[in-house]
Amino acid sequence: MWKWIQAFASPQNFYRISGTLIPWFLYPFVFLVTIGLYWGLYVAPIDYQQGDSYRIIFIHVPSAWMSMMIYLIMAISAGIGLIWQIKLASVVAKVSAPIGAGFTFLALITGSIWGKPMWGTWWVWDARLTSELILLFLYLAYMSLNNAFDNPKKAAKASSILALVGIINLPIIHYSVKWWNTLHQGASISSMDKIAAPAIHPDMLWPLLIMAIAFKLMYAALVLQRGRDEILFNEQNMRWVKDLIKGGER
Amino acid sequence: MMIAEYFSFLPFGKYAFYVWSSYIIFFVTVFWLFYRTKKIHERIFNQLRIKYEREDN
Repeated sequence: MWKWIQAFASPQNFYRISGTLIPWFLYPFVFLVTIGLYWGLYVAPIDYQQGDSYRIIFIHVPSAWMSMMIYLIMAISAGIGLIWQIKLASVVAKVSAPIGAGFTFLALITGSIWGKPMWGTWWVWDARLTSELILLFLYLAYMSLNNAFDNPKKAAKASSILALVGIINLPIIHYSVKWWNTLHQGASISSMDKIAAPAIHPDMLWPLLIMAIAFKLMYAALVLQRGRDEILFNEQNMRWVKDLIKGGER
Repeated sequence: MMIAEYFSFLPFGKYAFYVWSSYIIFFVTVFWLFYRTKKIHERIFNQLRIKYEREDN
């Protein structure tokens, strides 16, 4: 297993294998997002309390989950890159940041839009919303720090430390609705038990889960493609990159 | 509230403005992430191709 990981972690092998993997994530993403949207917007029943406004859940909740999951992946990869000097780990951390920032932005903006008809306000400085906003700032700070140095090694080191420190924000986001009195509702699906006996209708739960899987596939496809390009750039003085570019392969 | 009422002819009635604007922002963000990925790919390929051509000449 370790040998396989080491072989996959070599930039050249990663480039080759990831090129094969991308369509396996991309096409199922398109398929699942289509099914999820159809189910969520057309099949799912109207909520007895929130009416049709709850349909924002199918993008809001999966985006919020992704924002935290990607940050965790980014911080762990950054840590591995920092401690064991594995180049691929630093690449994964770097390319994950803008994707994570995109999902965090989506979670915040859709939450704000949903908040207006339900809470009567676009924004409140509630613990959940504020900690999620801090997550967006952490992503932006990580990206800025990564671009602030001419030396890529220094950039990776400084930004990795920031990513690792920022990990403290993840349990704060997750438990904010329990630790503080917030306007934001508690989790409807917080464990496998709740998936087995959920508090929401199956026709609302399934599209939510389908969209959550679709978003993960999208992240995988994007991180692999961006990772491949980052590797090409970092390894530009290597023979295999030169042969590849001159061969016109994409 | 005025804008929300203006869009109430769309599916989801009085919530149409909120639901559809969320989904539009979702599509724009997803499109942007894929578009940026494609642009980065093209930029790096072109940058390296020019570099190698210069080195060879």
